[in-house]
Amino acid sequence: MLNVTICIGSSCHLKGSRDVVEKMQKFIADYGLKDRVELSGAFCMGHCQEGVCVTVDGALHSVAPETTEDFFRREVLSRFPNGR
Amino acid sequence: MSNFCADIGYLSVNHYGEELCGDHVDVVPGDESSTVVVLADGLGSGVKASILSTLTSKIISTMLAAGLSLEDCVSTIAATLPVDAQRGVAYSTFTILHIRNNVTADLIQYDNPLAILIRDGVNCDYPRTEARVEGKKIYRSSLRLQENDTFILMSDGCPHAGIGVAYNFGWRREEIIDFMEPLATVGYTAKTLATLLVNECFQLYGGQPGDDATACVVKIRKRTPMNMLFGPPANRDDGPRMMSLFFSKEGKHIICGGTTASIAAKYLGKRLDTTLNYVSRDVPPISKIEGVDLVTEGVITVNKVLEYAKDYLADNTSYEKWNFQADAASQIARLLFEEATDINFYVGRAINPAHQDPKLPINFSIKMNLVKELSACLEQMGKRIKVSYF
Repeated sequence: MLNVTICIGSSCHLKGSRDVVEKMQKFIADYGLKDRVELSGAFCMGHCQEGVCVTVDGALHSVAPETTEDFFRREVLSRFPNGR
Repeated sequence: MSNFCADIGYLSVNHYGEELCGDHVDVVPGDESSTVVVLADGLGSGVKASILSTLTSKIISTMLAAGLSLEDCVSTIAATLPVDAQRGVAYSTFTILHIRNNVTADLIQYDNPLAILIRDGVNCDYPRTEARVEGKKIYRSSLRLQENDTFILMSDGCPHAGIGVAYNFGWRREEIIDFMEPLATVGYTAKTLATLLVNECFQLYGGQPGDDATACVVKIRKRTPMNMLFGPPANRDDGPRMMSLFFSKEGKHIICGGTTASIAAKYLGKRLDTTLNYVSRDVPPISKIEGVDLVTEGVITVNKVLEYAKDYLADNTSYEKWNFQADAASQIARLLFEEATDINFYVGRAINPAHQDPKLPINFSIKMNLVKELSACLEQMGKRIKVSYF
């Protein structure tokens, strides 16, 4: 199970974490990865300047609503080469 | 002394086309737990009526709160009110509710529709005696207060609602009682009850009231404490002290702020569970800590609560939102506006470096201002507020 955590603190909220959450939920559903990726929320991760903060199995990434799709392909989808 | 307090709220709609309201409500808090509420309705509408009713309610409330007799008040009004040039009379009807020590209430009524008392969820036909003061027929009642007693004071614009539009004879007092009885028992605030009543009048008038209509609701309730934690302490070492003070207080506990919530969870030795459940576009989701009644994000959520508080004190149009919505800000609004009477704020003064980004609409001074403005609003709602900074 891959753990993806998205910050929903004040700063990240203002930088669009809601959009990131919605897009990620959609991509995960579209690619049928619901059983293999666990999406969760977290409060401030202490890297507000780089928000929206997203961790994938503990590793921190900086994502914006516009870069979410790119991020999903690079960091999440690439880990499941055989698809669903 | 009793542990009751009075929740007071009122709202008016103006005669169609008038900028001023001819009805006036005045609330004068006397010494500890005594209050005088006066609803006056000036003759006619517009500026003349407004002057008559404002003078009447101000004179009565100030004199009664200072301990003078009703006879003195009435003769002062009769001698003071300017005489209407067209009609040759000076005239303003009034209803007075004088709450003493939150234990007894005197109800004094002159020519307004009879005030409604809803007790234990049903209309209570309270005893009245008729007296003549300065030639005016005045009804007086003395009542011992009970928890959840709801008084509804009205100007005649309420029972006249809908004359010739929706009803032949207006909205009769019995029908108003039928309308208010079920609403009075479900926990709405006085202000919301007054809003519901006046909105209904406005509808019955077809949106064009033929008279000023005012409702003032006074609800007797038990004092209920509430505690709200907002922001981490300026000095990290003060964390445990702040938490132990906060959690030792009686009443429900609300925590606002992500970092603050993490500190609290650590102090309690419990998990902080965040959700991704967005019920509202502009308010971040709620989190959970076992033992805490509500955990939310900080600045954005509290800012929304402040918006609701300001609206509540004005025309209360957004109660339809915060009264029913499940988002964090609405939940805080319900706890603070409806449930609480005594609120303790525990405010941390830590500066979040990430919030100092000039591109973001949240910085330290905004946070401090939020607390100041919100506590001022809550005080205006009649709540006792204590703010402690850390």
